[in-house]
Amino acid sequence: MKKSSRNLYLEKLKGGLDQEDQDRIDVFFHELSDQIDMPILSRDLLVHHFVDAFSYYLEQGKSTEEICELMDYRFLGDFYQGDHRRSFSLDNAAIVYPLGMKYGQMPMFRMAAELKEDVQPVLLQLAVDFTIKRFPSFSAVTKNGFFWHYLETVNHVSLIEEEKDIPCKPISILLRGFRSFRVLYCGKRISVEVFHAITDGSGAMVFLKTLVKEYLRLKEIDAKDDPEIPDINSPVDERELVNEFNEAKENASLSTFVDKRSIQLKGKISRLNLTKITHFEMDAGRLHDTARSYGGTITAYLLALLLIASKDCVNQKEGVFNVQVPVNMRKFNGSRTLRNYSMYFNVTEDLSKLPDKKELVGDVSRQIAEKGSEKMMNQMMMTTKKVIRSLCLVPLFLKIPLMQLVYAYLGNSIIAFTFSNLGVVKLPEGMKEAVRKLYFVFVPGPPNRIATSLVTANGISVFSIMRNSNDPTFEQRMYELLEEDGLIENTEGSVEYES
Amino acid sequence: MNPKIIYPIPERQRMFFRRLREIVRIVFICASLICLLVNFLVKGKFWSIIVVWSLFSLWRLIFSLRLVEFSVYSHAVRVTLHTIILLFLIDHFLAPGWAQTVIPIVFFADLLLMFVIYYVTYDRRHRHLVSILTLGLINLISIPYSIRSWPIDNWIAFAFQAASLLLFVVLIIISRKDLIYELKVRFMTGTK
Repeated sequence: MKKSSRNLYLEKLKGGLDQEDQDRIDVFFHELSDQIDMPILSRDLLVHHFVDAFSYYLEQGKSTEEICELMDYRFLGDFYQGDHRRSFSLDNAAIVYPLGMKYGQMPMFRMAAELKEDVQPVLLQLAVDFTIKRFPSFSAVTKNGFFWHYLETVNHVSLIEEEKDIPCKPISILLRGFRSFRVLYCGKRISVEVFHAITDGSGAMVFLKTLVKEYLRLKEIDAKDDPEIPDINSPVDERELVNEFNEAKENASLSTFVDKRSIQLKGKISRLNLTKITHFEMDAGRLHDTARSYGGTITAYLLALLLIASKDCVNQKEGVFNVQVPVNMRKFNGSRTLRNYSMYFNVTEDLSKLPDKKELVGDVSRQIAEKGSEKMMNQMMMTTKKVIRSLCLVPLFLKIPLMQLVYAYLGNSIIAFTFSNLGVVKLPEGMKEAVRKLYFVFVPGPPNRIATSLVTANGISVFSIMRNSNDPTFEQRMYELLEEDGLIENTEGSVEYES
Repeated sequence: MNPKIIYPIPERQRMFFRRLREIVRIVFICASLICLLVNFLVKGKFWSIIVVWSLFSLWRLIFSLRLVEFSVYSHAVRVTLHTIILLFLIDHFLAPGWAQTVIPIVFFADLLLMFVIYYVTYDRRHRHLVSILTLGLINLISIPYSIRSWPIDNWIAFAFQAASLLLFVVLIIISRKDLIYELKVRFMTGTK
């Protein structure tokens, strides 16, 4: 083992142990060092993670033998051995994200799991070190090609951070050379924040579940195997890296992205990307039953409430009001891809002529069935594919201003906000007992004032409203509407980040 | 509605740079326009172009950094290019007769420095290959400019251009494997 400051830590670690244990530690760290072929600073950083975890386990009264087994360095695989290069072109849905990026604006979203016990940072760090090798597209950075941006894998050590700042903050430009995601902890919560070019909500959820499973294993809580959670020690499944847009049926007809400009909610947009987050915790069963009583699905019911709440939060009453609903395309073909594979449709209503709640749920359900059908989504995929194909030989330096112009004209102005329902996330036995609930947070893109999401796990549905304006009317109105149906069990959130 | 606060209360948001950026943009635009106007009114040498380019360089190099693939290498290339254009403008519009010699020296010095850093840094150097090659390529493009009066008047420029060219060729030979890979991925046209 090469001499460095970590030897001092190792000596400290061995203090008070018998010779056999000391020898075991020496062998363990010697073999660990052989497993890592990186610049000295990165190698030391990684070894320190093991020293810290070893120290934690010793404090917990574990034997060195048990510890060596729990944090077996072979879990690192060959990820930290040399510089592996692998390039991916961005998938059709992701291609727009780096093109539309501006200073201080980076499309980030967050998946978080609230555990029943406080998070142990040293174990979470080790879990990240072990898990990342299985997700090469997550350890990738965005680069400039001549025609398009693309992704390239990097095997830098990913450091976890204590959550101290506003969620979904853009990753610093200086760090962007080796970062596309971050893992944060705060009390009982583990959060993963991802640059949208890397993956979508479903892909990030697979990563979060895998990370939590590995963290729990290090905590000696064994979660059962689950087909949706990849084994971190298995080879990378190429199906997880596929750009599914290329598989879209060529015979599908084309649809259009262009829609009329939507009325926007009122409120002055803040300089900050987020000014407040509000989570409404609901019993999933009761939410389902309530939605059924109105004759719709949970998505249709909540969309109807969102439309009703919006009516009181707009200055302009006449005109089109569009709510964007992303559709997870995996449900149509069972794809295992972890890259972006979602399309969307808009639910449209005239706010001045909103019918009563039941009728509105019916109308929204009809729109979901029509616009969110497989046929319509395939048409949209084909259109995306065609647009991208037509632009493929335009150099990137021309494409960026062109796309920013198109984005400024169309962009988010055709919708008032997005409602993204991740659905029911199944947690395997073992994890179910350790995780209380999940959160899904993303940032509204101006001129939208809010973004909304829903995720359900362990029988708890968490409906979230993310706001970037100074007007709190919308979440208050939404609270009243959900309370009318007796659904809210708990309300959580952030402080007002900008008053 | 009285939500339980589950997110940490952040420190006062550091909006200083964002605000400074907005102010600087306005100041730079105003200063550029005023300089151009004054220069137009008082006639004489086209000095305002130097001011405009200098302000633009400051903006691009300090206040408007690249959002994708920002690195010390790529930034160093940008700084060099902006400096060389500035030198060219000064030579052309204010005090002619020296840039033909100075620009090749600056190019060579920068290329040599990056070449040395490139080969002494442990690994991952190939990730910055494109930045260095860009510098080398631009140097090649500038050759006709500095050898206009070759060989009698400007043998220094020619010597430095030749040295830069040699360095560039050596770089290509040594890193040809990485270069082929870079060319392949950088010129991807599809989304496969």
